[in-house]
Amino acid sequence: MTLVRRSAALATAGALLAGCAGGPGGGGGKISDGKVVLAVLTDESGVYADLSGKNAVEAVKMAVADYKAKYGGKAVAKKIEVVDADHQNKPDVANSKAQELYDRQKADLIVDVPTSSAALAVATVAKNKKKLFIDVGAASTELEGKQCNKYTFHYGYNSYMLAHGTGSEVTKDGSKNWYIVYPDYAFGQDMQKTFSAAVKETGGTVVKSDPTPFPNDNFSTFLLKAPGLNPKPQVLGAMQAGGDLVNLVKQYNEYKLRDKGVGLATGLMFLTDIHSLGPDALAGTRFTDFWYWNANQGNRAWADKFQAKTGKRPTAVHAADYSAALQYLEAVQRGGTDKSGDVVKQLEGHQVNDVFTATGTIRPQDHLLVHDAYIAQVKPGSEVKEPWDYEKILKTIPAAQAFQQPDPACKL
Amino acid sequence: MILSRLAGRPVLLVIGLVAALLLPWFVYPPVALDIACWALFAAAVDLLLGFTGLLSFGHAAFWGSAAYATGLIAVHSGLPFPVAVLGGAAFSAVLAVPIGYLSIRLRGIYFAMVTLAFAQMVYFVANQWRDVTGGENGLQGIPRDFFGVDLSDPFFFYYAGLPFILAGLFVAWRIVRSPFGRVLVSIRDNSARARALGYSIDRYKLLVFVLSAALSGLGGGLFAIGHGFASLDGVYWTTSGQAVMMVVLGGIGTLWGGAIGAALIVELNDRLATAGFQETGIITGAIFIVVVLVFRRGVWGTARTLLER
Repeated sequence: MTLVRRSAALATAGALLAGCAGGPGGGGGKISDGKVVLAVLTDESGVYADLSGKNAVEAVKMAVADYKAKYGGKAVAKKIEVVDADHQNKPDVANSKAQELYDRQKADLIVDVPTSSAALAVATVAKNKKKLFIDVGAASTELEGKQCNKYTFHYGYNSYMLAHGTGSEVTKDGSKNWYIVYPDYAFGQDMQKTFSAAVKETGGTVVKSDPTPFPNDNFSTFLLKAPGLNPKPQVLGAMQAGGDLVNLVKQYNEYKLRDKGVGLATGLMFLTDIHSLGPDALAGTRFTDFWYWNANQGNRAWADKFQAKTGKRPTAVHAADYSAALQYLEAVQRGGTDKSGDVVKQLEGHQVNDVFTATGTIRPQDHLLVHDAYIAQVKPGSEVKEPWDYEKILKTIPAAQAFQQPDPACKL
Repeated sequence: MILSRLAGRPVLLVIGLVAALLLPWFVYPPVALDIACWALFAAAVDLLLGFTGLLSFGHAAFWGSAAYATGLIAVHSGLPFPVAVLGGAAFSAVLAVPIGYLSIRLRGIYFAMVTLAFAQMVYFVANQWRDVTGGENGLQGIPRDFFGVDLSDPFFFYYAGLPFILAGLFVAWRIVRSPFGRVLVSIRDNSARARALGYSIDRYKLLVFVLSAALSGLGGGLFAIGHGFASLDGVYWTTSGQAVMMVVLGGIGTLWGGAIGAALIVELNDRLATAGFQETGIITGAIFIVVVLVFRRGVWGTARTLLER
C-alpha cells in the first residue's frame, strides 16, 4: 500500500511540475521554439491517400522551398520543419494526433485533414490550443458555420461550392431536368439540398432525388429507372465520392445511359478519380473543380515541379495545400512572428495571389477562402494529348458566386 | 520460486495500479486515456466472452451510444463530466435490456450475428438522426466541465478519468469473483447442467449482458469526453471487432488481459500513424496472427501460466 501511496504522491508532484512547465513557450525570439513547424495531418493509407496523402506533404515542402528562395536571408522563419501524420480517416486518431502535433512536435500549423468528421475534430483542438489549422480536404460547411473558430481556416472547396457550381451551370447550359442520386449521410444530404436549390434557381427541375446506401457497390436500381422517369431526366446528378463514384460510373457505362440521353454530372471528383477510372469511362461528365494543373502556363510550371518530385500530376487539393502553407509563411513574414493571434490577423481579409488562385480572399467573417471555381468536363480518351490531361475547363465561376454567404451561426 | 511468489495477487494488483498511475508519464496523455477507456471496454467484452462464453460482436452499440448520450448530456445540460459519463453508462445499460433479451436466446455464431445486427441498427440510427448526433460529422464540441476546474490539459484529465476506469474494472473483477460469476462460468462450461441445477440461465445471461454493456458505456462515455466529440466510428462494427481483438490478444477469460491488449493496440495504432508506413492494418494483423498461433492463451494468459509454473 505504501508503494501505491508513494507513487500517487509522485504522480501528483509530477503533475504539478508538468503544469508549470506546460505554459506557453518562454518569450525571447519572435519565432516560438526557434523554428516554424508545419504539420500535414492526412489520410496516408485510405480512400483519400491519392488525392491528398503523401504527396500533400511534398506540396507543403515545395511551399517551404519557395518561401526560402523568395526571402533568403530576410526570412523571418529561418528554420522550417515539415512533419506529417496519418489520421486513417478516424476522427479520434485525428484528434489525438492533432494534440500531439501541437504539443510534442511543436507544430505551428496543421494543414490538409480530409474527411469532415476528422477535420471538425481537429478544429476543436486548434480552438483549445489556440494554434492554427487550415483545412483543405474536407467538404463540410460546418467548418465555417456552426463549428467555426478563430484559429481554423477552410481552404479549397466545400459542399456548397461543388453542388452549387455544377447544379446551376449545367442547368443554365440547357440540361433542365435532373435525377439526383446521393449517398445517405451528412455530405450527400448537404449536397442534395444545395444542388436541388441551385437547379431550381436557374430554372431547372429535379425530377426525382433518391438517397442511396453508403457505402454501396450496386446502383443498378437507381440507374435502370433513370431513363424511364417522367419527364425524362437529361442529366444524372451523382453526389457520390471516391469508391462509390467509381462503382456508379462503371454501372452507368454498363447500362449505356449516355446513349439513352441521360448525361452525367458529378458532385465531387478529383483528377486522381479520373485517372483511376480512365477518361473514356467518364467522357463528357461535368463537375466543379477549383484548380486544374493544365489550365494555364503558371499552373503547368508548378505541376512540372510537382511531377518531378512525385511522378504524378497534382490534384486541386495538392495545389491548395501548397497555397495554404505558403500563405501561412507569408503571414508569418508580414507579421514578423509565428504567434497564432498575429498570424490570424495577418490572414484575415488577405488577398491571395499565388499559383492556386489569383483572386482569393480569406473572408474575415468566417475564415473561408473564397476564390474562383471552374466548371470542368472530362475529355474523351481521343482528345487526351498527354498523361493526366483529362479536363477541359468550360467556364469560370467568379469568386463572389462560387461560395455561400457567411453563415450567421459562425461566431469567431 | 521468486517468480511464483511474485505471482501472488496483491503484488500483481499493486503493479497494475502503479502501471495505471504512471501511464501518462510514459505514453502521450491523450493516448493513455484511450488505453484506459479501451481497457475497460475490453474487460467488459471479456466478461461475456471469457466468463459466460458469449461472443458479442455488437458491443460498439453500447460504447458508441454511451458516447453520444454522454456528449448530449454534457452539451445540453452543462452538468459536470462525471454526471454525463454515468448518464451515458446508464443509457447503455437501458439499451442493453431489449437487445440482450432478444440476443441471449441464441448461442455461438448466431449470438454474434444478432448482436452485430443490432449494432448496425444503432449505427444506422446514429447516421440518420443528424439533428441529434451530427451524422457523419459527429457530435462535436463536447465540454469537459468539472465545477469550474480546468481539466483541459489531457495529463490532468487522465487522473480525473482514471477513477471511473478503476471503479469499472473493480466491478468487473468483483463480478468474476462472486458466486454470480461462478454461475456464469458454469453456464459457459455446461449450460444444460447449470439449468438442471436450478439456475435460470437466461436471467443470468441477461444480467451479465446488461452489466457488460454498462461498463462498455462507461468507457465509451469517458472516451467521448476525453476527445471532445462522439463520432460514427464509435458505433461502427470495426469498434466491436477491435474490442474482441484486444481480448483475444490479451487472453480470453483473464479480465486483465484485455487491458494489455488495449495498451498494445492503441499504442501501436498511435505509433504507426507517424511511422510513415502506409499499411497499418498489415502490422496489427500480423501481430494478431502471431499471438493467436504462438500464444494461444493471449499475452497475459501465457505470462500467467509461466508465472504459476
